Amino acid sequence: MYDYEWDRLRVWLEQYGAIPQSVEKKEELTRLDLSKNNLKELPQELGILSNLVVLNLAHNQLEELPESFCNLTSLSNLDLRRNSFSIFPQALTSLDLRSLNMSSNRLESLSFLEHFKELRVLDLSHNNLEKIDCSLDPKNQLRTINLSNNFLKDIADLFPSVPHLERLMINTNFLREIPASISCMKALEEFEASDNHISKIDPVFFTLNIERILLNSNNFTSLDLQGLELLEFLSLDENPLEELSIAQNFAPYLQEFSCDSCELEHFVMLQSRYLKSLCYASNHIQEIPTEIQEYDSLQELDLEGNDIEELPDTLANMSSLHTLYIANNPLSEDAKKVIEVLDPEICDIRMKTGVEILNATSEDLEAMAKLLGVLFAIESDFEIDFDKQLRGIKRLFEDDRNDLLVAKHEGKVVGMVTMQRLISSAEGDNVGQIEDLVVDEAYRKMGIGSRLINHMRTIALDYGYKRIQLAADVNNDNALEFYTRRGFRKTYLNVYHYKVD
Amino acid sequence: MKTKEEILNLEVCECGEKNVAQAIEIFENTSLPFKKAKKLVTECNKSCCRAALLKIHDMSLYGRYDYEEIAFIIQQRLERLKRLSEGID
Repeated sequence: MYDYEWDRLRVWLEQYGAIPQSVEKKEELTRLDLSKNNLKELPQELGILSNLVVLNLAHNQLEELPESFCNLTSLSNLDLRRNSFSIFPQALTSLDLRSLNMSSNRLESLSFLEHFKELRVLDLSHNNLEKIDCSLDPKNQLRTINLSNNFLKDIADLFPSVPHLERLMINTNFLREIPASISCMKALEEFEASDNHISKIDPVFFTLNIERILLNSNNFTSLDLQGLELLEFLSLDENPLEELSIAQNFAPYLQEFSCDSCELEHFVMLQSRYLKSLCYASNHIQEIPTEIQEYDSLQELDLEGNDIEELPDTLANMSSLHTLYIANNPLSEDAKKVIEVLDPEICDIRMKTGVEILNATSEDLEAMAKLLGVLFAIESDFEIDFDKQLRGIKRLFEDDRNDLLVAKHEGKVVGMVTMQRLISSAEGDNVGQIEDLVVDEAYRKMGIGSRLINHMRTIALDYGYKRIQLAADVNNDNALEFYTRRGFRKTYLNVYHYKVD
Repeated sequence: MKTKEEILNLEVCECGEKNVAQAIEIFENTSLPFKKAKKLVTECNKSCCRAALLKIHDMSLYGRYDYEEIAFIIQQRLERLKRLSEGID
């Protein structure tokens, strides 16, 4: 029998490129992406997709949904981000949704939540919620809730209704305290409540099993940290915190702790011996305790912007410490010697300022050829031959399809990268081949390589290249990690050479 | 709908008096982690423009900018400020 509704819907979906040609029957459609289409309304026929499981309607201009949505009985994951809903669509209340994203709408009430028993993930950030006005089903399965960027002043009533909650994001609201009712959140693992007005935490909070806490930009002036036995990450940045006390039993497995831009006058030691990252930047600390060496797992220490003159000799013994931020302190010569002995891989006071990224000129070519020698010393496929390298770099320079960038410090070339224009039959268009990225050894770990790559990517974007690509020596771990961190993905292709002469 | 040029000219940080283009330039010229790079833009320790700057910083790491997204985040903050000035809290 001919299905007119499916035929009409299919034509409608095709105009948005939302349906693969291989789909013949409506029952075959289980996922549908109609995001970013400026849709103001949807056809009633969508309700015939009874096998639809995932529906993405984000970035449209919807204010309501067709009544037929109540027939989408298989729908589990619905994305309605960035639409214009001010009232929750009634047609959804009969569905057993497991994931619902209504971030960036205009909702003012949570009362619709009472209809959802199976919901696991709920995002209502960036709405106009002012109060918790819902009574959730006691058997609800909510695990993750994001209520950030609303206008909530009190969430005490929420906690008893969501006993299984594992992640709660409630940043950028108007909370003034963490109330005692949070005690029922026994499963809570992540708690984010930055950018509120919190100045008080009920002691019961410290008995929970939370692993990750963000309380940045609140109104804490003093804190007594205790308990939180499973805590691994705590950030208290940008609080007017003058007093911080740490109990013996506080967070024995803490790995990251940050008190950036507070008002602390003393470096407070933490009990955890698993600390990997510690930040007391932009405080008023004058003295670093000798016991700091007890943090034998510490990899990153940020003490920038304090009043530190001396550093303990013990700092130099911290063999795991590879990153030290200590600029903007009145450091003595002795303190600078401690840093010299420590010799961290990354240290802000060693970073040279005034390094410029520029297009190469003909005067730079010899220096570039010399730098290539550094690169080819690492890459086992190539031999160092200054004349060949100079000849190659000159030919690249003279061909206007290529781009050559240099990093210069006080007139000296300290880094370089090249990009050649290729035509890709796969892309049907131009792509950029990145070659010869190298930074003088004395200028490494200062971000110069990143800046060269960033500039080259911008050039590639301006040209409209479809892709940029490069080859890296398989034994050069630093290079492989560098490119991966910057969004390059390893391909399944190997590079082969055949020497013609 | 704003053009790319209009979005690049949008003020993203009142404290540091920087627009989107200036923030992008600063982020592209440093490889400091976000917390440090943000201070180069804001020249302060406040967090008012954090969301927009974090998004721009993330985009700068991948060299691909979604200007519409940046404009949306800035607009969202302005709407929130407007709503606050109208009497919430």
